[in-house]
Amino acid sequence: MTNQIISVVRVRDTLMVTLPADPDDVTVATLQEEVLRAMERYRPRGLVLDISGVETLDSFFVRTVTETSHMVGLMGGRTVIAGMRPSVAITATQLGLTLHGTLTALTVDRALDLLNHPRPRRRLS
Amino acid sequence: MSNKGRLNGKAVVNGIEGLGMQAFLAAIVESSDDAIYGKSLEGVILSWNHGAEKMYGYTASEALGRPVGMLVPAGSPDEVPQILERVKRGERVDHFETVRVRKSGEPFDVSINVSPIRDGSAKIVGASTVARDITEPKRLREALTQRAKEILEVSTPVLQVWEGMVVAPFIGTLDTQRAQQFMERLLDRIVETNSSVALLDVTGVPAIDTRTAQHLIETITSVRLLGAQAVLTGVRPAIAQTLAHLGINLADVVTRSSLAAGLRVALDALNLKISSQDGAA
Amino acid sequence: MSEATQGNVPIQSENDIIAARRAVRDLAARLSFGITDVTRIVTASSELARNIFLYAGAGVMWWSISDRNGAVGLELTFEDHGPGIPDVELAMKPGYGTSRGLGFGLPGTKRLMDEMEVRTEVGKGTTVTVRKWLRK
Repeated sequence: MTNQIISVVRVRDTLMVTLPADPDDVTVATLQEEVLRAMERYRPRGLVLDISGVETLDSFFVRTVTETSHMVGLMGGRTVIAGMRPSVAITATQLGLTLHGTLTALTVDRALDLLNHPRPRRRLS
Repeated sequence: MSNKGRLNGKAVVNGIEGLGMQAFLAAIVESSDDAIYGKSLEGVILSWNHGAEKMYGYTASEALGRPVGMLVPAGSPDEVPQILERVKRGERVDHFETVRVRKSGEPFDVSINVSPIRDGSAKIVGASTVARDITEPKRLREALTQRAKEILEVSTPVLQVWEGMVVAPFIGTLDTQRAQQFMERLLDRIVETNSSVALLDVTGVPAIDTRTAQHLIETITSVRLLGAQAVLTGVRPAIAQTLAHLGINLADVVTRSSLAAGLRVALDALNLKISSQDGAA
Repeated sequence: MSEATQGNVPIQSENDIIAARRAVRDLAARLSFGITDVTRIVTASSELARNIFLYAGAGVMWWSISDRNGAVGLELTFEDHGPGIPDVELAMKPGYGTSRGLGFGLPGTKRLMDEMEVRTEVGKGTTVTVRKWLRK
C-alpha cells in the first residue's frame, strides 16, 4: 500500500498541506476534514496545498480541492495550489478542469510569498 | 508477339519467351527480392523462394517442412496463430510490421502481407506470405522523425530572456502533435527556470484556425494552472477578429498587439523597470 | 515468456478505482507512452472507473494491448450493468460538467483519449471503450 498520508504543518499563520502521489478517494476526503480542523484550531491566513508529488488529478480531486478552497475563503483565508506538474496541468486543462478562482503558484516558496505579501499582487490587465 | 487468350474477361499472355504460364509465374516469384513463401493452414512452410533464402538465411531444403514459427524471434509475441486464423476466415493481412529472425539469430524488422491460397473450388488451402526487410526504410523513417522533432524544437523555442520570464515565439501553424509537444516543453521550461511570466508571441502565425486557437487557449490555461502568468503577444487585428468569430472568450487572457508591449506587461508583473543609463527612465 | 496482453480489474468499491488507475499506469508506462500521455490515460480511466462506482455500483474494466497496422495502443473498456445513460448526446456535450459534480465527464475524457465509444441502454447498463495509440 503506498503512502496515503497528508501532511499538515503550520508555518506561522499559513497552513501547509502536502498531498501524496496518488491519493485515493478516502485520502482526498480526509484532506477536507484535516484542513477544516486545522483552520478552526489555528485560524491561519492562508492555506498552501502542495501537489508537487501528485501524478493524477481527476474531477473528484479537483471538486474536493475547490470546495476546500471555498470553505477556507468563507473562514477568511486564502488558498494557493502549489507545484502542479506540467503533465497534470495539461491533462487537467484538456479534461476541462480549470480550478477557477483558486490561486496557483509554481512552488511552495512562491505560494508563501503570495500569501504573505503585504501588497496585493499586481494583476496583469 | 505472343498469343492472347481470355480468362475471366482479362487478356492473358500465353507464355513468354518459350516459357509456359506456370513456369512464367514461378520465375516471377523466384526473381523477386522479397521473401515469398507459402505455408499450410497449420503453418508448415511449403514453398520458399530465392528472396526468402537471402533474407532469412535458410535454403529451401532447410526451410521446407519446417514450422513458420521458427522465423519468429524467441521472446517476441507470436502473432502467427492469429494471422493464420484470419487467413482461414478469408482475410488478408496487409503491411503488418513486425520482427522476424534470420538463421544467424539476428532479429530484423519486416513488413509482411499474408493472403489466403485457394484451390480450384475457392476453398482456402494455405497462406502466402510476402515479406519485405524494412530495416533500412525504418531507419530512414526514424531519422526523419528525429529531424522533424529537432526542427520542431528549433521553430518553437522557449527562451528565457530574463529571470522569471520566458518567451515562446510561434512560427507557422500549430497542428495537434506540434501543439502537444510545444505545451509540454513550455511548461517544463517554466518550471525549470522558475518563471512567473510566459510570453506567447504569435506575430509569426499567419492564420489561426479553430484547432490552433483551441491549442493556444489550452496552453494559456495550463500555464495558469502551473502558477505562472501567460501573455499572448503579437495579436494582429486579423487574428483578433478570427478569435472573436470563433467565439473564443479572450476576457481572461491578457493580450497585446506586439511583443514589446507584452514585454512591458511582463516587466511590470515582475516588478522590474528598464531605465536608460543616463538617468532618464 | 511474453507478458500478458489483456486482463481485467473488477470495480466494486472505491478502492478498486485506485487499483484500476495503478494497473493502467503500469500498462501505459510499459508501452512507453510519454509522461503526459500516461497522465491522460490514467486520468481518463479514473473518471470512467469512478462513473461505474458512482452510478452502477459495480462493474469491470477490461484492458488489452492492441495492434493496428503496426501501431501499438492500449484499449480500455469500462462495463457495468447499471442504470444506463438516458441521453448520451447530452452527456457528450462539452461543458456538461464534471467540476460541478454533474454529468459523467465524458467529453473531457474523450478529449484525453484518441478514440471513445459509448454503448448504453437504460435499465441494462453501459460500456465505454477508449483507446490511445502510441505515436511513432
